Amino acid sequence: MAIHFIADHNLEALLERLRRYGELHAPVRGDDGVVRFSLLIPGIIPDLTALRTLLPPKKYLLHPRETILSYTSEAGYQLPVEISPPLIMFGLHPCDLAGINYLDRIFLGDEPDPLYAARRSATTLIGVACTPDELCSCQQILSPLKALSDLFLSNVEGGFAVASGSPRGDELLEGIKDILEEQEGDMPEDSRRFFGHAVSEQPRHELDVTLPEWQEYADKCLGCGACSICCPTCYCFDVLEFSGLDGRSAVRVRQWDNCLFKSHAQVAGGMSFRKDRAERFRYRYLHKYRSFGTLHGIPSCVGCGRCRVVCPTGIDLRPLAERLEEVHHG
Amino acid sequence: MRKLRVAIAGLTACSGCQLSLLNCEDELPGLLEQFEFHFFPMACSPALLEGDYDAALVEGCVSMPHEIALLQELRRRSKYLIVLGTCAACGGVAALRNSDERELLRRMVYGQNAVAAETFNPQPLQSVVPVDAVVTGCPPEKDELLRMLTGLVRGALPVSIDYPVCTECRMHENLCLLTERNVLCLGPLTLGGCGARCPSMSVPCEGCRGPVPEANLKETFEIYNQKGFERQTVLERLRRFCPEWKL
Amino acid sequence: MVSALPVPAVIKSIRPLTTDTSLFMLHTEPGHPVASSFLPGQFLELSLPGVGAIPVSYCGYPSADGSIELCIRHVGHVTASLKVALPGDAVGVSGPFGRGFPLLSFAGQDLLLIAGGLGMAPLRSLLLELLKHSELFGRLILLYGARETGALLFLEELLEFKKRGAIELHLGVDHPDFCLVGPPDCRVALLPALLDRLDIDPGRSSAAICGPPVVYPQLVSSLRLQGMSDDRIHLSLERRMKCGVGRCGHCAVGTLLCCVDGPVFSNEDLAGIEGALT
Repeated sequence: MAIHFIADHNLEALLERLRRYGELHAPVRGDDGVVRFSLLIPGIIPDLTALRTLLPPKKYLLHPRETILSYTSEAGYQLPVEISPPLIMFGLHPCDLAGINYLDRIFLGDEPDPLYAARRSATTLIGVACTPDELCSCQQILSPLKALSDLFLSNVEGGFAVASGSPRGDELLEGIKDILEEQEGDMPEDSRRFFGHAVSEQPRHELDVTLPEWQEYADKCLGCGACSICCPTCYCFDVLEFSGLDGRSAVRVRQWDNCLFKSHAQVAGGMSFRKDRAERFRYRYLHKYRSFGTLHGIPSCVGCGRCRVVCPTGIDLRPLAERLEEVHHG
Repeated sequence: MRKLRVAIAGLTACSGCQLSLLNCEDELPGLLEQFEFHFFPMACSPALLEGDYDAALVEGCVSMPHEIALLQELRRRSKYLIVLGTCAACGGVAALRNSDERELLRRMVYGQNAVAAETFNPQPLQSVVPVDAVVTGCPPEKDELLRMLTGLVRGALPVSIDYPVCTECRMHENLCLLTERNVLCLGPLTLGGCGARCPSMSVPCEGCRGPVPEANLKETFEIYNQKGFERQTVLERLRRFCPEWKL
Repeated sequence: MVSALPVPAVIKSIRPLTTDTSLFMLHTEPGHPVASSFLPGQFLELSLPGVGAIPVSYCGYPSADGSIELCIRHVGHVTASLKVALPGDAVGVSGPFGRGFPLLSFAGQDLLLIAGGLGMAPLRSLLLELLKHSELFGRLILLYGARETGALLFLEELLEFKKRGAIELHLGVDHPDFCLVGPPDCRVALLPALLDRLDIDPGRSSAAICGPPVVYPQLVSSLRLQGMSDDRIHLSLERRMKCGVGRCGHCAVGTLLCCVDGPVFSNEDLAGIEGALT
């Protein structure tokens, strides 16, 4: 079988070529040791061995804080005008691709979120295979989410096998064909294998509120919000509105929120529907493993392991999910 | 539209909170379109309380009898009394030695024979009068100050934040100084809203915005302990801005 | 899906109903669905420029001329600012959002409306709709409880309906107050006590409930004891809703979203869900 092969020594040439299609972003290790998706300046080598960036790629699609409406007394509320320049995201692991697939399902529905849709359609996704470590849980639960990408690179001896996953990918392949070699060989096992599975539609039991774990998590939690900020599929947002200095204009902004914060379930007058942290943990668990609304039954956890890495007290929901969810042992 | 009548007063503090309002140079002309800063001794003289105010913004803690009188007067005349800064909200730096005997402190500062002004243990405003909103910080963030003011024009009090400094620190994709650099950072216990100003510059959080609601002291101290910080060291650090931290 | 972009509206009038609650009459573009095509129990998002947006249940009739009636209690960030709003002020409205009461399933039934406090607002919208087509329904019974007689909303209107024989009205207050003359037939009793005295035929009745969450468990268990099945008990739930379109993640009840799957749920929908009725 023939594969498109790109040799390691052609990686820089590939990156240079990709820059023609848009602003190129990839995982880069900073001086502080933190790996972040960031603008890839020529001469800088992306870190393709790091399993996880600190923030997931959602930061490009849903900004931590952004204006969603602007108001003037003359024109009323209006959608912000934003020009989304083409963005090439290089080096996305399958979990992050699946995470984007989940966000797509939330924000590109019947009436797409205008900001998300504009940025998403300007984005090219280039995936890179990986080998999960002990913090990953992409193998734990088979997921119907699809780790879709425009191009996907799998490691083979001396370089990468490159496969297209979309018409956009075909176009890119055409554009880089002079640095590709057609090689005889088999595609390596696809590390996206955990995603794209049908899941049983059996309704699952309601969560047992008497499990001691809820209170154990609650006791350990600092309420710092890192787990959701660093989660590739946590999209909860708070909405705030600020008046302009002129008294005639305003902006409405949304910003990342966390279901473990006190205010998350608070309504006018101060009453909260999830007063204690143990209840909030069940909410978090439900959202991560079972999902809300039309996505019910599709786990939003893609197993990237970021929440475990960034939790200051090492909270890990996996042992509980092992017991409560349909788990794949393989 | 009628301009809002505002009184701005400083009690025992460094005046930095009022200064951060005056530092909003680009915005001041716009603010003056909507506000009459009628009583603002730091910025304009003469300053006499007169009539009612839509809002009083008060910086600093209460530590002298005449400050109680001024505060009560402001409360009586104002629809909203807004706490400006950490000293007014928590006591702040001035309350650092509230656990020591007052007379001892007086002699330490003024010597054996000095006649000092009559003072008492510095207190947050809430211990003297009811307050309507708090804009914390040492000093408060410019954005928060301006939003509080523009909100008042619309009849709205500021929405309080309930997350710690860590939240915004992670949004900035910063390295965690506490867990990854073993630095004594008070981020997990400190109210956010500052955009993680210090940790973003690799400077640990000093807790200048006061306590976050629902702070998990037990677990946070467990981390400090694992990192080798004495309980007393952490407490002293915490109490620099908020003497009320108890354990 | 309904557009979340607010359209301009103007406050036409503000009528104080009680010390902390006012009836706002808004006017928006005639024919806009936010005013013309909602079901009782649905809600709109009311935007107050520079302050924020809140979900508010409709409390009146759908109207083709762009008018919208909203009952506002001044307790939160946005509603506190509305306390100083004036006729002529500009606001924004979007909606309708969510699922309302299942009117079709009510045909031929006796209807038991149970309102507590501000919960009267959405049930007023339902009541008006039911009265418009009263020939389609059997008995219309309203149980309405509030803190004190002065906090009973739309009292004159309700008494008028009762006088006309259009509804059976049972009023209750938590505390006797200083009103020398209370409304007729108003008792000092909580809603569950009012309900217990009522004679209904559970086999041909449906219930619509909206009130403070604290009364829900007892009302539901009382209705079930009387033999009403879960699919005929409809409850309007309050949750924190920041977007109205199922995206902000705040309002889930179990795995249902209050803003899309609700706010009106049947008790059957809510079976076994932790915290649904608290």
